[in-house]
Amino acid sequence: MDKSLQVIVVYLLTHVGLIFFMYPTDIIETLEAGHWIAVLLGFAIHIALLTVYLRGLKYGAPNNIIDIFKDVGRWFAMVILFPVALYFTMMIIITVRAYSEIVTLIFLDSTPLWAIMALILFVSSLMAMYGVESIFRTGLLVALLFSPALLLVFSLAFQNVEFLYWFPMIDERSATFSYVFSKPYLLSFFAFTGGFLFLGFIPSYIPYKPRKVLIASTALLPLFLISVYVPLLTFGPSAASALQFPFISAVDTVNVSWLMFDRVTLFFLLSLVGFSMIFLSLVIWKTSLLVRSAFKFMSHIVTVLAITAVIFLICLYIPDWQSVERLLWWNTILRLYVMFVIPITTLAVGLLRHRKGANLT
Amino acid sequence: MELLEQLRSRQRQDSDMFIHRFSLVHYPVTLVGAASLIDLPQTMKLLQLQAQNIVTSEQPLLALSGGIGEFISQDDIPQVIEAISEGKLIIVPDNADPCVKLTPISRTLSRSIEAPITENVLRGGISAFIEDLDTNIGILKKQTISDRLRVHTYWLGSKQRRKATLLYIDGVVNGSFLQRLQRAIESHQTKDVPDLQALNAMLGFTKWALVTRFNTTELPDSASYALGQGKVVMFLDRLPFALILPSVVVDMFASDNDRSYPSFFMYAIRLLRIIGLLTNMLMPGLYVALVSVNPDVLRIEIAMSIAGSRVGVPYPAMVETILLLVILELILEASIRLPKSIGPTITMVGGIILGEAVVEARLVSNVLIIILAATTIASFTVIGFHNAISIRISKYLILILSSIFGVLGLFAGMVVISAYLASITSFGIPYLSSSRVKEQSDG
Repeated sequence: MDKSLQVIVVYLLTHVGLIFFMYPTDIIETLEAGHWIAVLLGFAIHIALLTVYLRGLKYGAPNNIIDIFKDVGRWFAMVILFPVALYFTMMIIITVRAYSEIVTLIFLDSTPLWAIMALILFVSSLMAMYGVESIFRTGLLVALLFSPALLLVFSLAFQNVEFLYWFPMIDERSATFSYVFSKPYLLSFFAFTGGFLFLGFIPSYIPYKPRKVLIASTALLPLFLISVYVPLLTFGPSAASALQFPFISAVDTVNVSWLMFDRVTLFFLLSLVGFSMIFLSLVIWKTSLLVRSAFKFMSHIVTVLAITAVIFLICLYIPDWQSVERLLWWNTILRLYVMFVIPITTLAVGLLRHRKGANLT
Repeated sequence: MELLEQLRSRQRQDSDMFIHRFSLVHYPVTLVGAASLIDLPQTMKLLQLQAQNIVTSEQPLLALSGGIGEFISQDDIPQVIEAISEGKLIIVPDNADPCVKLTPISRTLSRSIEAPITENVLRGGISAFIEDLDTNIGILKKQTISDRLRVHTYWLGSKQRRKATLLYIDGVVNGSFLQRLQRAIESHQTKDVPDLQALNAMLGFTKWALVTRFNTTELPDSASYALGQGKVVMFLDRLPFALILPSVVVDMFASDNDRSYPSFFMYAIRLLRIIGLLTNMLMPGLYVALVSVNPDVLRIEIAMSIAGSRVGVPYPAMVETILLLVILELILEASIRLPKSIGPTITMVGGIILGEAVVEARLVSNVLIIILAATTIASFTVIGFHNAISIRISKYLILILSSIFGVLGLFAGMVVISAYLASITSFGIPYLSSSRVKEQSDG
């Protein structure tokens, strides 16, 4: 049976969970005008890489990415996948630490940070232990439960916008793409690279249609634009760039007289934290898969527990928000590797295999 | 006459057993059976009638066996004993011929078909299943007139035997599910199944699951509808309802009886049940989270009024909520145990007197009373008592998480429960699948 729906929902959820915190900050910091060009560029790169990746996986089907690389050679797979495992681990650490920090900042100021990190990690590793099918089903259910809150917030977010801030629509910096290698722009790819690799890890008993995933991924574009333009149009570019989480602050300005809650942000934020838990569980599951492909004697549950314990300990040693940002920056090299090398290698290996298969028959 | 000797010695320990001399035409025999299960005078009359019809026959026993009986060798004592305990009549001839096992006229030990007791039907058939297995199969077959309806009967248990029947519609049922179910039953056929927990263990489901793996229904309509959806219906003898496997989450919200109403109302009612489920699971947690951890989320007027109602309440919101929830659970439990005539009294004492007094005494806030009353009512909007109890449990997890982490705990609890539900599968069918269990579907 075609399970494209589950795959698509999880694909969208993981991205939605990542978009609304750091991404607008980075984009607003990158440019003073014409942000839409930066968003569109990032999105185009994302779609292009996704296409390459999915095509490569199609040639390699029904194997997952680990088996595709292992076909070439065990050491080849080890060398090429080791940075991926490292990237995943860094990703989990950064996400857990950052989200706990955000939660503390915004509404749980008296709860100790370690408790929140423990909760997030506990829930994610529990899901990871249940396995990938279970994660997909959870994704679907959580999406159903939480999306009303999200839709409400998206429709309310435009309450205070001033469309004049849309202009100037373009300036020299944005038109010449000179910002592409700037630090904040490279950081903004955090929102793109997080999710899409999981498509290569899906076992063959969860069949999905790559074309449908591609089509569904265009649904993310409006969300990327909303995340950047709601704060821009609410505060104006210069004020927005001074804020740590511009989208959250923009939603905080919304005042709804008929709602019994004063802060709509909270429910929005928590839905996103829920999504990010699913994202984390998926990354933990992927990491466990990678670890176990190298060390076959470990069982899934033990691996997940070990990964969680290590990550929790590392998270405890990160002292403040500056360190999180530094980690995020250090992770950029790995991120670019994962973004470009993995999809292209997958396509190359897939094509080779495909040719060989064609020659044999 | 070794067999009769054996049976006589057995009779000394089992006073229910009768050993009765009888003459079939001119042919002296002994009738053996359980007096409590067999209507002896009626059965004798039947035997005489049969015997008169076959008077020409030299061997009346042979003729009988061709009709309603079957031969058992006199040496096969265990099988004879087993047949007696199943309620069969044994005719032992005086010579060494094999004896005959006969289905007698049995005593009526089941109630007649009545209206359902645990389910209410507003628009639909109201006859319900009873304890007698064959009657149940009959009712269901009458409801599901199909030449593809298949019936499989198993005898379960070794010390305490029990008859179980599986029914499904060939071609509609999910093949791999059925195969795995049958394999599970056949490989544990000797296990005793005194209750549903034992059945659960026999089928290899975990003991500590929070949701039930088989839906139960008293209504032939529902069972028949489930058959049409590709599910398997299982009857256990002496159990007045059908077990429907696999159980999926939609069963909590959707009953086939909803289809008696126009579609719009059907969806509205189902939405209402979903709201009921969410209310029941989230309200206590939300109250605790908003009162004790995140009061800033509330609009200031509401926050003030809730705080006002809690003035003088001496303990934290968490303790207050647990206290009242336990009392409510006690009332629920008590009202199940109590005879029907005293039930309303408990409602009165529990609801009005206790509720009023507890607020007057400033032990809990009256906002909490409203919330918990809504919670309790909401928990019974879902279909089936077995589903209602499983959601009753899960609200405590959310309550505890909310008291520690506030609204974050509430959401984390929702994710945990979602993940738990997503992890449950029975024989390859996930709990979170749509109601129609299609062929080759597993997700």
